[in-house]
Amino acid sequence: MYLTVRNATKLYGSFTALDDVCISIEQGEFVCLLGPSGCGKTTLLRLIAGLTDIDSGEVTLEGESLSGLPARKRGFGIVFQSYSLFPNMTIAENIGYGLKIRDTPVNQINTRVTELLDLIKLPQIADKFPGQLSGGQQQRVALARAIAVDPRVLLLDEPLSALDAKVRGDLRDEILQLQRALGIPTLMVTHDQEEALALADKIICMNQGAVVQAGTPKELYQKPATRFVADFMGTSNLIKTEVIRSFMPELLGMRPEGDDEVYDACIRPEAIKIEPNVNGDALVKSIGFLGNLSKIKLESTLGDLIVEVHGAIDLEENQNVSLQINPADCNWVLNDVVETAS
Amino acid sequence: MKAVSSRGFDGDKLLTITCVVIPLVALALFFLYPMYIVFIRSITLPDGGLGLQNYIETLSSTGFWRATRHSMLMGLTTMVFSVLFGFIIALGLHRCSFKGKWLIRAVIILPLLAPSLVQALGLIFLLGRNGVINRFFGLELDIYGFWGLTIANTLYALPQVVMIISASLVLLDQRLYEAAEIMGAKPLRQFRDLTLPAIYYAVLNAAFVVFIITITDFGNAAVIGGDYSVLATEIYTQVIGLRNFNMGAVVGIMLLLPTVISYYIERKAMQRQQGKTSTNIQAFVPKFMPYRDVPMAVACYLIIGAILAVIAIVVYASFVKLWPYNFDFTFKHFDITLAGGYSSLWITIAISLGAAIGGTFLIFILSFGLLRLPQKLSQALQVLAAMPAAVPGIVLGLAYILTFNSTSTPLHVLYGTAILIAAINFYHYHTQAFLTVMTGFRQFPAALEEASSTLGAGLGRTAISVIVPFIAPMLVSVFFFLFMRSMVTLSAVIFLTTPQLDVAAVTIMRLDDAGLTSQAAAFSTCVMAVVCLSLGIMKLILSMQSKNKVGAA
Repeated sequence: MYLTVRNATKLYGSFTALDDVCISIEQGEFVCLLGPSGCGKTTLLRLIAGLTDIDSGEVTLEGESLSGLPARKRGFGIVFQSYSLFPNMTIAENIGYGLKIRDTPVNQINTRVTELLDLIKLPQIADKFPGQLSGGQQQRVALARAIAVDPRVLLLDEPLSALDAKVRGDLRDEILQLQRALGIPTLMVTHDQEEALALADKIICMNQGAVVQAGTPKELYQKPATRFVADFMGTSNLIKTEVIRSFMPELLGMRPEGDDEVYDACIRPEAIKIEPNVNGDALVKSIGFLGNLSKIKLESTLGDLIVEVHGAIDLEENQNVSLQINPADCNWVLNDVVETAS
Repeated sequence: MKAVSSRGFDGDKLLTITCVVIPLVALALFFLYPMYIVFIRSITLPDGGLGLQNYIETLSSTGFWRATRHSMLMGLTTMVFSVLFGFIIALGLHRCSFKGKWLIRAVIILPLLAPSLVQALGLIFLLGRNGVINRFFGLELDIYGFWGLTIANTLYALPQVVMIISASLVLLDQRLYEAAEIMGAKPLRQFRDLTLPAIYYAVLNAAFVVFIITITDFGNAAVIGGDYSVLATEIYTQVIGLRNFNMGAVVGIMLLLPTVISYYIERKAMQRQQGKTSTNIQAFVPKFMPYRDVPMAVACYLIIGAILAVIAIVVYASFVKLWPYNFDFTFKHFDITLAGGYSSLWITIAISLGAAIGGTFLIFILSFGLLRLPQKLSQALQVLAAMPAAVPGIVLGLAYILTFNSTSTPLHVLYGTAILIAAINFYHYHTQAFLTVMTGFRQFPAALEEASSTLGAGLGRTAISVIVPFIAPMLVSVFFFLFMRSMVTLSAVIFLTTPQLDVAAVTIMRLDDAGLTSQAAAFSTCVMAVVCLSLGIMKLILSMQSKNKVGAA
């Protein structure tokens, strides 16, 4: 294991920001810390960076403890949501800053800066100031600045959140290409599950200061461990055990042992097959056509369901349909969400 | 249903125009016209013709050169000290970690709450011939003159320096420092590469501001300057003593020069800052570093201690029997023996209220109207409305006496009235008030106004029911700002007071002139009490307003 965090705990007054968190990153791996705001993911990243002190626990890099090592000696690279380029320096000076601190000869810095500007496809901007660039350009420069010193770990703190959709998509692809090409172990904080799915080798899903589940994007989507993960990673139909037992007992086959309240069924919208059937026991409430897919809301014996099918579908509102669910597509997830009135 | 507005007459447009025209006419009469008069008078020859003779005469007079040399020397020395000390305090407040910063924040604004000559009074009690230091140590220090004036002005200018440098420091995001830290920069290097470049213009600007307020301040020069003549006292002598109005005008025009340069630098600094304002700045939170923070804390407390000592000693001296021989408690100095007694205090309060009420109203309708004019016109007028800050109080005062003392205009009726003093106080601080309210208006969500007018409210109704409540905190701040400044300002009004119409700051000066230093201290204490009280009321109102808002949200 390249980078590990063991039993990290961080308190802010009486608020527990991190509660006994353990994570690891392999050499060359792209890991996403995913979770809603306030879940502790940014605190964890800052702790690894050395920007925030750890209360208890340990961060190790290649087997060596980083405890007590100030951020500037860890040899990491960081990119913030707010770009955070030095406003008084040109783009070239920004990118070369880390090298300058390391007393690299000027001509080597210049070569490296040119190389990096080519890499981020902005070769013409060396002498501009950050204020003269668009958000997307600034973030590319921030990325170049972070990797200029060949960091041992690249830390990305919601790097795409401040950008608009189109730029975000482009930059996402570029980050992925860059990371794959350079093989820098990367840890990215995000609250956007789509981003995490697209980029990560491994997703660490966090909630309320603790790791809920870690695994490949596929694992987290197809086999969410808890209701929280199922809900956070895309849309899902979550159904109580007693409802399944009454109306679709064939789905109970894969259910782990446990009380009714402990596990709920999780069925992804695309796993439900529907067919027009006058005797079907589900009723179409609404159909949303989104171009590449259609979103159908149903009222059924299982409760309200969301179904997604590819492309357009030939159905009408208030039409009866029959449902078909493959037992293999029904996951049983731990009920970790406290029920609220709604 | 009838069509709502197909009439040719548009009430909203008329309201907009009225809102802009009234304050602008007033601005023209009470700012542009007097400034024009100063300029004309400076090139008017004794025979009535025009020419540069006055300038040549002034420039070749030894008195002028001596005063200029003194002003430059004193201004530059004050500049070095107050920028250095202000820099230390601003860094201490925003880049260091130590306890008791609230005390520093509280004390640093004290000089703004007192007439400028209070620093000089305090120094006299402390270091004068009958000061505690000379008495206690048996020394013969002479505080009158260059050093006394320099120390007094340094203390007087400190708040401005701290505010200007602080404003640029808080714009520097914590994450910039974190990025530099992760790239390997040590704290000292971060300071050199990030902090210093960012505050470069602020420091430059602060230096100019200090220089200007120092060379144009009248109060300290009059009280502690002694024989050390400076430009501010020179103008006063020329105009009031020798009735040499045209020469006074020449000096006044020359005092505008450094201000113009400073104005240019400030613009430049603002442009730089505008280019890089990020929407959500994360404030820098310094971690405790003993070898940096302990010396900085000590330095900050020493500087603050000096400010506090000089002002506190004035308050203290006003309550003791015979400074510095008999420290028994007494109220007797509050029995003002000079003719008029406390009447000037009441007049000043009335004038300040007038300036605050009239000023807030005019600023409000001006800002309200300007934002509804076509962009280009509005921007030009905004530059105009921001111009009075470039004119030092003493020059504006001179302009007023030249303008309103002349029987050739009907405006002469205002001469010697409280209205004119209220007007000069308002126009002296027009810029700051205007910018505050404009900032408020810019934060006003346009959608709110649209929603209101879609519901059928006219512009006037929208203004009263939607806009005023929204920018009320700005209006309250501006009201009290104008009130407090009017209570303590001296340089602008010194030319306009008459034996029948004195203001508080002038009375303090006259008491000191008459040798009634303890009564001067007592009168200063009263003025400071009024100002502190109004500051307290302002804070109370603002906190109540913000509570209401939270409650409504």
